[in-house]
Amino acid sequence: MNDRGTETLGTFYPFLQTRAADVDALIAEATRSTADKIAEIVALRESLAVTHAQSLLDCARRLAAAFHAGGTLFTFGNGGSSTDAQEVAQLFLRPPVAGRPLPAVSLTHDVAVLTALSNDVGFDVVFARQLEAFGRAGDIALGLSTSGGSANVLRAFDEASRRGMITVGLAGYDGGQMARSDAINHLFVVPTTSVHRVQEAQTTLYHVLWELTQQALVGEL
Amino acid sequence: MDSAVVPPVIRQAFARRVAPVRTLAADAEQIARACRDMAARFHCGGKLIVFGNGGPSTDAQHIAVEFVHPVIVGKRALPAISLTNDTATLTGIARADGFEEVFAAQVRLLASPEDIALGISSEGRCANVRRGLVAARERGLLTVGLVGGDGGDIARDAVTDHLIVVRSDDPCVVKEAHVTVYHILWELVHVFLEHPGALEPEVAR
Repeated sequence: MNDRGTETLGTFYPFLQTRAADVDALIAEATRSTADKIAEIVALRESLAVTHAQSLLDCARRLAAAFHAGGTLFTFGNGGSSTDAQEVAQLFLRPPVAGRPLPAVSLTHDVAVLTALSNDVGFDVVFARQLEAFGRAGDIALGLSTSGGSANVLRAFDEASRRGMITVGLAGYDGGQMARSDAINHLFVVPTTSVHRVQEAQTTLYHVLWELTQQALVGEL
Repeated sequence: MDSAVVPPVIRQAFARRVAPVRTLAADAEQIARACRDMAARFHCGGKLIVFGNGGPSTDAQHIAVEFVHPVIVGKRALPAISLTNDTATLTGIARADGFEEVFAAQVRLLASPEDIALGISSEGRCANVRRGLVAARERGLLTVGLVGGDGGDIARDAVTDHLIVVRSDDPCVVKEAHVTVYHILWELVHVFLEHPGALEPEVAR
């Protein structure tokens, strides 16, 4: 709470008049800041189209080949990124628009498994251990971390790599430890320090990756 | 890669996403007013209740965690729940009363009049989201809709106090714009909460 700000307003301005003026000023400020953020995300996406074009094409072709050979996609992430992991799995498995349904599983929503692993071993292994159980060579592991430094996501990539899976990472900032990991075949970094803009841009990256994978599967990429 | 040589397939994929997001700037004041009203509800002890199907169910969970555990250090935790993640409740209601009731039934059981209901639908045509919003309104909740396409029947029948429509028929593009909108909703709710003088009922309009 900004108590000082409130006190200042209450002290210097007539009561109701001030409050009404305060609301109008805040609405105006909020409106301006919304327009700025929209411009920011539009520009960020435009820059990613350029920097990630070739990597998106390469990755989509690799994923299509993996699905063609019978591979399954496993997705993972923490917090907001866990909801992205679920969205990615759902998109591949049951596309909301025309598209070929593909086998995909999110490792984020089985509360029994997540709590068992966290309680018995530790939170760092929650995704790696599931890949140990499900992952086969030729499957795909896709992990998201806005910082690039989530320990359980990094451990999962190590496990996936050991098992001969294809690994895809989405990160923000400078890619953090994910950028230094040898276990990630295809890494997409959104180079901004705003967690919100990172997540918004990552959403576009995985949607475009899905579109391209679908095109590659029918030989149109 | 030089921007001049970006392959057309990539250029087109990214270009399709620009207009629906850019158009949102025209709704900036409307978004700000929704945030003011949401902040007023939190200020009075209300909680946020979020729901949607498929892709939007993951947005509902993202919004809940955004408010409960903000990514920006130092921002207070605000009460928010998603009605999409209790599989026992969802399947129990769906079996007994039908899938169209899954959110409305939970709203009637869990909501208080000072709460906020936020329903998400990619095309504005989800019967259970609509019913959840209507049940919320009947109880006196503030109702907010986040929809896409032409807004569907949720827009046509004006079932919410505030409605934000992302003008795209592609549910993926709608989702991308929705993520930006709910990040802004979260941020502006905190801006208004930090100015409690702006939240008194007498200045609400």
